[in-house]
Amino acid sequence: MAGLKLVAAPYIYVCTRMRVRKTTLLPREEYMRMLNMNLPEITRLIGETDYKQEIDELGTTFKGIDLIEVALSWNLAKEYQKIQEITPGTLKQFTQAYLRRWDIQNVLTILRGKMQGAKTGKIKEILVPAGSLDKVVLDRLLAEDSLDKIVEMLKGYRMYPQVFIREYPLSKESGSFSRLENELYKQFYAEIIAEAESGIKGGKLFLDFIRLEIDIKNVKTLFRLRADTFEEDARSMHIQGGTLSATDFAALNTVKDQNEFIDILKGKIRQKSIIELLEEMRSEKTIRDVEVRLTRVQLEQMERMSKRNPISIHPILVYLEKKKYEVFNLRALARGKESKLPSERIAEYLVM
Amino acid sequence: MAAEVVMTVEMIKASQMGMKALGAGIAVGLTGIGAGVAEMAIGSAAVGATAENKDMFGLALLFTVIPETIVIFGLVVALLLLFV
Repeated sequence: MAGLKLVAAPYIYVCTRMRVRKTTLLPREEYMRMLNMNLPEITRLIGETDYKQEIDELGTTFKGIDLIEVALSWNLAKEYQKIQEITPGTLKQFTQAYLRRWDIQNVLTILRGKMQGAKTGKIKEILVPAGSLDKVVLDRLLAEDSLDKIVEMLKGYRMYPQVFIREYPLSKESGSFSRLENELYKQFYAEIIAEAESGIKGGKLFLDFIRLEIDIKNVKTLFRLRADTFEEDARSMHIQGGTLSATDFAALNTVKDQNEFIDILKGKIRQKSIIELLEEMRSEKTIRDVEVRLTRVQLEQMERMSKRNPISIHPILVYLEKKKYEVFNLRALARGKESKLPSERIAEYLVM
Repeated sequence: MAAEVVMTVEMIKASQMGMKALGAGIAVGLTGIGAGVAEMAIGSAAVGATAENKDMFGLALLFTVIPETIVIFGLVVALLLLFV
């Protein structure tokens, strides 16, 4: 017993650090204040928080919205890398597996940027080197102009080669990477589920977290498909591993009546918090509103899980998610202000 | 027929003193282990909290030494055993 406790000490250390770090995230009041500010004021305010180092470092090179964009990306990447450094044992393994999604995002950003002929520097600004592909690898990929060569280079890394072999030619032909993106994320979720189920200690808790995320993603996709008039094959959008099966997912997509759709969906989902939210969705709402509410429920549920299991992977993952949404919020705020959108409109996009 | 062991008063007193010493040792030893186990978790959390926020140091230190009281109880019991 004493042996087990001694192993737990670094876990307690990291989980406490994450909980304290979570308290330093921007509260709702700060966002409300920022909504009444202009871009230079927002930049100054961000520069007084945890983003100070990045704002100071990049202040001479970038200005305005670019400064905020790059500073946020750098800070997020730095934060994620730091967490990977301090997490011990299986927590590190799970954290790295969870952060591998940024590899997909970075690679797709490079591919899309190159396809549209964007400048290398401009693409680099929005990359977040938080996954297994670090800055050096991403720079090497960015240096290549040919998409084929970029994909060829990826074969040496853990970047789902089978998916690329299967989907890349089709994506290249159609000029859209959306299908490739879907398949990459599906493979990503399949792999982290396999990792969580491989019998590693703490895997069950990691799996609960992933399942919640998949459920929320599937529900979001269903609402998006409903908002979209274009008829698509719903099965290809479904992510395996959650409580919704592919058959249920496809069947739900064919239901036209909103009340009937909510009733069936409530019967399929097991998460109580999602069921409660679905009840509020009976009246027609904008897709943006639905997505923000679902994200909020997801974060609240994750928070509850982390309180129930204080010494587990949960406090770490909750912090990773909350930090991600803080960066998303600040970016949305800055972009909204840059585009001179009214404050009420920007507030709709914030997850507070 | 086995030889009978004859114990003198001095021998009995020495044996009692030995038992007291053993009891005192166990009292301090076990409470020490208990305090160590308790402090391990609190100490890890305290160091983690202080690493993120330096202002937490005083409070974290206070929480970390609270299990020390268990050793003090053990020490008191040991002293009572040995000297009362």
